[in-house]
Amino acid sequence: MYQPMLFLHWKQIRMVLGLFVVAAFALPLIAVEGLGTPPGMDAVSLNAYRTLSAFQLWLPFFPALAAAIGLTLALSSWNWDHQQNHVYALSLPLTRWEYTIQKMLAGVSLALLPAIAFWLGAHVAAASVSLPAGLHAYPNELAARFFFATLLSYAMLFAMAAGTVRTTLWVSGVTFGFIFFGIIANDVLANYVDFFSRVNVVEEVYEWIIHAPGPFEVFTGNWSLIDV
Amino acid sequence: MNSAIELTNVGWRAGKSFELKDVSLKVPMGSIYGFLGPNGSGKTTTIRMFMGMLKPDCGHISILGASVPKDMKSILARIGYVPERPHVYPALSVGEQVKVHASFYRLWDQGWCNELMDRLNLDATQRISRMSKGETGKLLLLLALSQRPDLLVLDEPTDGLDPVVRRDVLSAVLDYVSETSATVFISSHLVHELERICDWVGVMDDGRLVAEMPMQHFKNGIKRLRVANAPDTVDQAPFTLLGRHRDNGVGSLETWVVRDWEAPMRHYFDHVGATVRDVIDLDLEEGFVELLRSSRPQHKKGS
Repeated sequence: MYQPMLFLHWKQIRMVLGLFVVAAFALPLIAVEGLGTPPGMDAVSLNAYRTLSAFQLWLPFFPALAAAIGLTLALSSWNWDHQQNHVYALSLPLTRWEYTIQKMLAGVSLALLPAIAFWLGAHVAAASVSLPAGLHAYPNELAARFFFATLLSYAMLFAMAAGTVRTTLWVSGVTFGFIFFGIIANDVLANYVDFFSRVNVVEEVYEWIIHAPGPFEVFTGNWSLIDV
Repeated sequence: MNSAIELTNVGWRAGKSFELKDVSLKVPMGSIYGFLGPNGSGKTTTIRMFMGMLKPDCGHISILGASVPKDMKSILARIGYVPERPHVYPALSVGEQVKVHASFYRLWDQGWCNELMDRLNLDATQRISRMSKGETGKLLLLLALSQRPDLLVLDEPTDGLDPVVRRDVLSAVLDYVSETSATVFISSHLVHELERICDWVGVMDDGRLVAEMPMQHFKNGIKRLRVANAPDTVDQAPFTLLGRHRDNGVGSLETWVVRDWEAPMRHYFDHVGATVRDVIDLDLEEGFVELLRSSRPQHKKGS
């Protein structure tokens, strides 16, 4: 059952996935472009600070690409089911959870392709630069982070896209409602309760989510290919 | 008699606009059951209900002796389903779709599938998105039949198809049934189409099952009578009066439409002081229309 799911997903997304694979391979190479030893200067004398600064310009593109791949895989995964009101899926001799798990696994398998391309690109990029003393390349760690970020984005959006439009709106509404009313409530309560004048609850929750050990840390953590 | 499909007092409501009201039907095992009704009468909703796609608000459903939705997985493995709208993947070729579909069914018969593909003139390399409506209809039937199902559920399978394709589709169904003991449940609003092939018929209207009977009974049992000196009330009649109206300018003559009619029932009129002048056969479509007309509430009759 996994095989036909993989085949169906592959047929839908193969063109876009091809572009993502190319982008994932190229991005680490583009990021290290120009980090080579400038003419007349040897690698040792190259300033480590300058190298890191130049590389950091490209850092936002790494999680962005991972998120875009996850998003595309998730939406394409359910696209056809939504178009024909899930009739085909529901007429198959599978339980709903079996169908969903197979579909999920097919998407995870496809997410491996850009991750592998990224891993190769990161290795080639790391090998192509002469690093100043004190700096090291971390292609494996970066590729693993890229894969996990893709998976997180895919899993989250897959779950949302699996439901009806009403479910998606409900989840989005609750999230934005929590943020909006949370901020207002916190400001109002700060006038009466000392705790809320010291702690902004929404901000704390946000910080916890996007930084370690929060689930979105994979996006905001260290994306450096080259580091100390 | 064993039932392939049995719905007992099934109800379902979709907002204020549509409701299935207390639907109870029995599809005898091995029969070809025609499910008639005008557009929007609840045929597809009823099918989706027993296919486990919608959950009834009340009532009980069993298919091939198993309970819905509890045993849905094993039930669906034995059902070949052709939905109202094509549900195949347009990006695939016919061959690819067949391969994908086959992988979900343990009893898939590839030899029979190849034979059907030849017979229905389907090209395995053709892309589904480039197929005509008739070709897509044939592909859907091919997928449903190649599973070797015990129950074939066809939701308006020939709607919008040209007569040649329609004949191909129906004859493939009939051939399958003649080879196996499969039950066929076929919904349509095209009455004459079901007349040829069905041995049972159920009629839906406005979310209710208004009649269910053997096709022979349906064909022969609905008559138009011209009655002289008709009584005002009809008590203990051996037939069901579907409708009556006074004929314009013909004295005391009335036209009655009755169901469950048999020739000896003429004697009933002698007892009530009336006379049957004519017994007029209705074709299936006329009978169907009269049945619907009689089942609708008074305020709807005038509309």
